[in-house]
Amino acid sequence: MDRTDTSPATTPFYAEQAGECRLFEHAFRQRLPVLLKGPTGCGKTRFVEHMAARLGRPLVTVSCHDDLTAADLVGRFLIGDGNTVWNDGPLARAVRTGAICYLDEVVEARKDTTVVLHPLADDRRVLPIERTGELLQATPEFMLVVSYNPGYQNLLKNLKPSTRQRFVALVFDYPRPEVEQRIIETEAGADAALSARLIKLATALRRLIDQDLEETVSTRLLVVAARLIVSGLPPLTACRAAIVDALTDDLDTASALDQVVQAVLSHDA
Amino acid sequence: MEEWVGERWHRFIWRAADRSFAHAAVRLEEVQRAVQLLFRAGGGDPLVRVAPASAEKVGGPRSWLQKLAGQGERASIGTLDEQTLALPPVIAVFADAALNRDLYLWLAAQAACHVATPAGWLADNLAATRRALACFPGLRTRYARLLQAHLAQRPAPERLQGTPRELERAIQAALRASLDGVDAGRDTTPPAAREPCAPQDQGASLDGRARQPASVAPVWLWLQAMQTAVGPSATAPEADAADGAPPRPQQQPTPQDPKRRRAQRTEDTSSKHGLVMFFRAESILSWSEFVRVNRTADDEDNQDYSQVADDMQELALAPRKPGETLAARIKFDLDLPSAAADDLPVGEGEPLPEWDYQRGLLLPEHCRAQRLRHRAASPDAIDSEAAGAVPALEKRLKTTSRQVRRRFEALRAAPRWQHGLTQGEELDLDAWVRHQVDRRDVAHRHVEAPAVYARRARSERSLSSLMLADLSLSTDAYARPGARVIDLVRDSLFVFGNALDAVGDPFEMLGFSSVRRAVRIHELKRFGERWNDAARERVAAIKPGFYTRMGAAIRYGTQRLAARPERQRLLLILSDGKPNDLDHYEGRHGLEDTRHAVHAARQAGLVPFCVTIDQQANAYLPRLFGTQGFALVHRPEQLARALTQVYVRLTAAVR
Repeated sequence: MDRTDTSPATTPFYAEQAGECRLFEHAFRQRLPVLLKGPTGCGKTRFVEHMAARLGRPLVTVSCHDDLTAADLVGRFLIGDGNTVWNDGPLARAVRTGAICYLDEVVEARKDTTVVLHPLADDRRVLPIERTGELLQATPEFMLVVSYNPGYQNLLKNLKPSTRQRFVALVFDYPRPEVEQRIIETEAGADAALSARLIKLATALRRLIDQDLEETVSTRLLVVAARLIVSGLPPLTACRAAIVDALTDDLDTASALDQVVQAVLSHDA
Repeated sequence: MEEWVGERWHRFIWRAADRSFAHAAVRLEEVQRAVQLLFRAGGGDPLVRVAPASAEKVGGPRSWLQKLAGQGERASIGTLDEQTLALPPVIAVFADAALNRDLYLWLAAQAACHVATPAGWLADNLAATRRALACFPGLRTRYARLLQAHLAQRPAPERLQGTPRELERAIQAALRASLDGVDAGRDTTPPAAREPCAPQDQGASLDGRARQPASVAPVWLWLQAMQTAVGPSATAPEADAADGAPPRPQQQPTPQDPKRRRAQRTEDTSSKHGLVMFFRAESILSWSEFVRVNRTADDEDNQDYSQVADDMQELALAPRKPGETLAARIKFDLDLPSAAADDLPVGEGEPLPEWDYQRGLLLPEHCRAQRLRHRAASPDAIDSEAAGAVPALEKRLKTTSRQVRRRFEALRAAPRWQHGLTQGEELDLDAWVRHQVDRRDVAHRHVEAPAVYARRARSERSLSSLMLADLSLSTDAYARPGARVIDLVRDSLFVFGNALDAVGDPFEMLGFSSVRRAVRIHELKRFGERWNDAARERVAAIKPGFYTRMGAAIRYGTQRLAARPERQRLLLILSDGKPNDLDHYEGRHGLEDTRHAVHAARQAGLVPFCVTIDQQANAYLPRLFGTQGFALVHRPEQLARALTQVYVRLTAAVR
């Protein structure tokens, strides 16, 4: 569920879109929590990994799910050797060690988790551990980052305004074509011609959002498709597997999308 | 006998002269989805619908056999205007079915990149081709194949004479030039942002023509742009306000004719002075000219109008003269109810805004919503129809009602684990460990009932729903033999009301219809009211009338529902088709206004969902409600599934 990267060997690649790195650095220095919003696969997680490496802080990532409770974040007693032992949760660990704690898809978590986030996210910066009676003061290097996807399906699961207003918000979208092209080239080792084709495909498919598709092709899907192509699969097969079938289950729509893919990715080139 | 011979001869000569490739024919329906997606992916307007085109007069040389058969005079050509992309219903131009299929896809791509400019038909098409090839490089090979096949079919200019020869030369040169000079994959700016590239060798007579010249053979690869489509009749004068006569109710299913026809607005100048007759022999009109036959005033009743419309080059729509309506000539079954017989108005009307997409602004206080209440039959009046309606409905819908109710109850009863209880069916290990720790603390040593149990319990729900039922006159049409749309709507309300009443969720039911900007909101059941016999009677008594101003109704529903304290709020719309009203509220304007209202409802935290009976709904509902925001229902039995589907989605989304 949670993962701690203490010392990343290299800084993970991230192509900046609009000064978000600088904003993040300032927020870190001012000890402000950050909220990342954006569609799936647009690079939120990668951004946090990149920034953690750049700032030299360990990163604790928690992927939230609908059964995640406050105890899962803060910690709980475990039974050991005929006695009970307190065990810190990922959030408490991050607060103690001064790490960056990243709660991915925070709206998925149960409502009670927001209660423990509130005192941490405002100027108190404390984590009350109710079960041991401890009031944990965050170290200056601790930073809280949460993300969520304000997409169609999350309409009913919105962040409460009281939670949202404690965070500095950063809005993400799919990168500009030239940035996205650079990402595909770097991440998948694709050449300029292939990445340009894929960008063209992405532009076409993103026009279909709302009416024909619920979710559109993400940067992540493009990178996956590019990697498959670079490793030797024919482009059409790779796009069918990585993009078309990932976007829809409807056979009719899939075969129509396939026509769009064929129309964009020329097979004679 | 004469007829028999004639028919035989027609069939024989038609087959002998036919130069299309029937065995390789591809129908539009087969490729419709791909065409739509390709068109929109290429940047085409998402509100443009794809429809079959009607045949029109085309030129080009014809063989003697074709002349004998009267063939090759008319063909369907791809046409684009701001509302419709009309494509030939069948393409059998080439001997290879794959080529015919590719031609459809090519036309979609061409249409997506087509921008109508004053430069005219040829220049626009050439520019569109270049853009389409830049946008879809994968079509290049296929386009080259199509072009080759098409050029082989085109007449040699040497065999033509006069203007057609010049035109043919220019067209062929442009077609050949279309493949040159396209740098594959460089051009990524949207089509609207670019200037059209003018062709070098353009025939002077082709300048500025929006349409293909009638004397040349059709260019299958190109489109004609319609610059002035007959749109939502902005030019039509509004008939005077007192005229509220509803359209004729339809006793039969409406013949659906989605074909896109050419039309122009003209003045109806037909003279009423029948005895004064001018006739000059040399001015005999041909079909291609405007013939002053007022179709709606024609004597013959049993004419097949769609056949007539097919035969016409262009339909002329004349505005009605002030004071003259169809209602004046045809007797109507329904009329505006007198004030005494009309439903009781409740309270003051509420002003509602309307979205004008052309100007991109919300017109404040554009409509007025008036709440109405069904006038209950006085106890001594014997209204046998109304009296027996509720039990009859109850009986007929017993099974469906029970089914839906059971499903709703099952959803409601979905148990969840509750932790930290003093008693329960399982030990809560987490709580127990905590209790053990706490026990070491002196103060907590003697706990009478430690809260260490877990239990499965029903979770609380917080859901309110508002149903908006379309009561416009179009619901009087038959959805299928024996069941009018209004019956389906009534059944839906009934089943849903029973089910919601059983699970105890608060709900409101409203019917809506409109006459121009006056929106009639029929109160069937309010939030505070009980689902009792009076409410059921009101539901049973709903009857169709007037028009569908859907956007205003949704806005009204949004206001009502947004005031509710519940966490989940469902706005359910039951309708039979597109929004329309007497004024310009139709076509794109109506759709855009409804879409705006739906968005506003979503912004207010409501969940709008549409249950519809319209078979054509797939064409426009995704645009209004999103791909997951509507359900199509054909039979009452399907209601159970569609309605539960909404609930499942709602309850699954919120935990």
